[in-house]
Amino acid sequence: MTFHPKQSLSARLTRMNLLVSGVVLLLAGLAFFSYDLVSFRHTLIRNIGAEAQIVGENSISALLFDDQETATTTLKSLEQSPDVKGAILSDAEGRAFAKYGQLGSDDVATHSLGAKENHRVWFSGTQVIVAHRIVFQGKTVGIVTILAQLTEIGQRARQYLLIAGMILLLCMAAAVMISATSRRLIAEPISKLADTALLVSRDKDYSVRAKIPVDGSEIGVLVDAFNTMLTQIQERDAALSEAQAELEGRVEERTAKLRAANRELEAFSYTVAHDLRGPLDAITGIAFLLAKTSEGVGDPAVHGMLEQLTASTVNMSMLIDDLLNFARASTTPVKSVPVNLSKIVREIAADLKMSDPERRVEFSIIDAPEVPADPGLMRIVLDNLLRNSWKYSSHHDEACIEFGAKREGEKIVYFVHDDGAGFDPAHAEKLFEPFERLHGKSEFPGTGIGLATVQRILARQGGAIWAEGAVEKGATFYFTLG
Amino acid sequence: MLVAGMAMAARMATTSAAQPPAPSQLDVQAVYLFDFAKFVRWPEGAEHGTLTICVAGQKAYADSLTRLVKGEQIDSRPLAVRVVQTAADVTGCDILFVGISAKEQEAAMLAATAGKPVLTVSDIPGFLDSGGMIQFVVIDQRVRFSVDLRSTMHSGIGLSSELLKVAVKVNGASGGTS
Repeated sequence: MTFHPKQSLSARLTRMNLLVSGVVLLLAGLAFFSYDLVSFRHTLIRNIGAEAQIVGENSISALLFDDQETATTTLKSLEQSPDVKGAILSDAEGRAFAKYGQLGSDDVATHSLGAKENHRVWFSGTQVIVAHRIVFQGKTVGIVTILAQLTEIGQRARQYLLIAGMILLLCMAAAVMISATSRRLIAEPISKLADTALLVSRDKDYSVRAKIPVDGSEIGVLVDAFNTMLTQIQERDAALSEAQAELEGRVEERTAKLRAANRELEAFSYTVAHDLRGPLDAITGIAFLLAKTSEGVGDPAVHGMLEQLTASTVNMSMLIDDLLNFARASTTPVKSVPVNLSKIVREIAADLKMSDPERRVEFSIIDAPEVPADPGLMRIVLDNLLRNSWKYSSHHDEACIEFGAKREGEKIVYFVHDDGAGFDPAHAEKLFEPFERLHGKSEFPGTGIGLATVQRILARQGGAIWAEGAVEKGATFYFTLG
Repeated sequence: MLVAGMAMAARMATTSAAQPPAPSQLDVQAVYLFDFAKFVRWPEGAEHGTLTICVAGQKAYADSLTRLVKGEQIDSRPLAVRVVQTAADVTGCDILFVGISAKEQEAAMLAATAGKPVLTVSDIPGFLDSGGMIQFVVIDQRVRFSVDLRSTMHSGIGLSSELLKVAVKVNGASGGTS
């Protein structure tokens, strides 16, 4: 595809040439014509004035010696002058003495000289009337009045128009020829440059080059600069893609290394936790038996220590469970089946109530519709959240734990709310980091892994979790799924 | 005659503010005589000083001419009018008019001026044949004049072609008359 603008450069150049030459010709023609007209008129008037003078001189004797015949003959010599249409010779008193052509006495009356005037010219359109005083030996002997019609002026104007028209045609031909040259010298290189630019911008092909015209004009410089720019873009492009490839390679490498390290770490912690379980179970069992058998027998201090040992092993067992959950949360493949979250919540609530029947805790659980999720992982999530609520409301005599859901836009936001110890909202971000705890271990026991596990599980299902709360005002954990 | 006469009267009035005399052929002749002087080229030696117009015969003619030329100049020459009685008086005349009443003096006066730069003018019939230079004639009641070039050339006086143009007849012209 080549670029075809509505008005090509060469057409514009041609038009501009024509316009300029036309205007110049018109103005020059007008100037010449008006100058010529003025000077022509001037000359005619001067000629007529001279004729009036000559006729006057030649009429002196006729006037003095009362010879009308001779005077008429003299006036008749004006026939030779095509512009002169009439003449009247008056004597010193202004009476008509001899006549020629179409000049009436009225004309003489309206065009008379003043007492001290010797020569005067009247214009009206193309008509000119010249009055000339005939003076001989210091005395006025008569006045000659000549009427002339400047008919030649119109004829001259027509000739001018004809010549100007012919020159205009020649100019147009010249302009067309010049524009052919200018097209070759200016328009073509520019349109080629435009084509190249279009090609570059459309195909992002920076390897094309515009042809440099040989005349060494600014267009050549432009084309050369354009080509240089293309080269620079090409080089930068190459350097950029090289850098990008290198970066990507480095990122990939790092990511792979990181992933491997992570996997190794997780496998290691899983193994450790898993392998620790066997010996720990044995220790727990033996400690429990020892504590039972030593009850009421021997040193009560030993019995106390055995009780402590048992409690510690139970704690450690919980920690291992949590660690295993955390590891599983990252590694187990996620299933997606309809899950009744409310049912899971009720089961956990029942468990919790059974674990400490003394506590007065009220559960408020809505009937949420089934939602596609991984039932095992969702049980871990809800277990963690409800157990947290249970735990952090344990210092209150009465507590209320609520499981609910609300629609926000297209998503359903679930929440678990309690009226327990709450937390400082300034540290809300830290809640979900592993092993970060906002409360002392003595105040509320825990491993610090639970919420990190929850966040990881929800993230793997495309969900999110966030928390709101204040110290001693309770806490609310919101979460979404996919 | 009527038109010419009226014109003459007007010219008389403008040139002399005295009494307006009835325009007569004599008055017209007087004006013409004065105008002739403007078309005459005098030979070297005679073109300076007062231009004297001598009138032989008619006293009235001389008077009207005197009024006409009063204060006038031709080619920077002041004008004077003199009445002459005999041929002996013509010395110093530049223009000599011989009236018909002085017919008997005609021959003597022409003889006295022959070969001299004196323009001789008369209304005597046959004046040119007698050797005069300009003769008034009346045609259709209008005063006209004829010229004889042979005598003017003989006396060294040049006449302007403008004058010859309006002459009724020009004798002695190589190219004929106008």
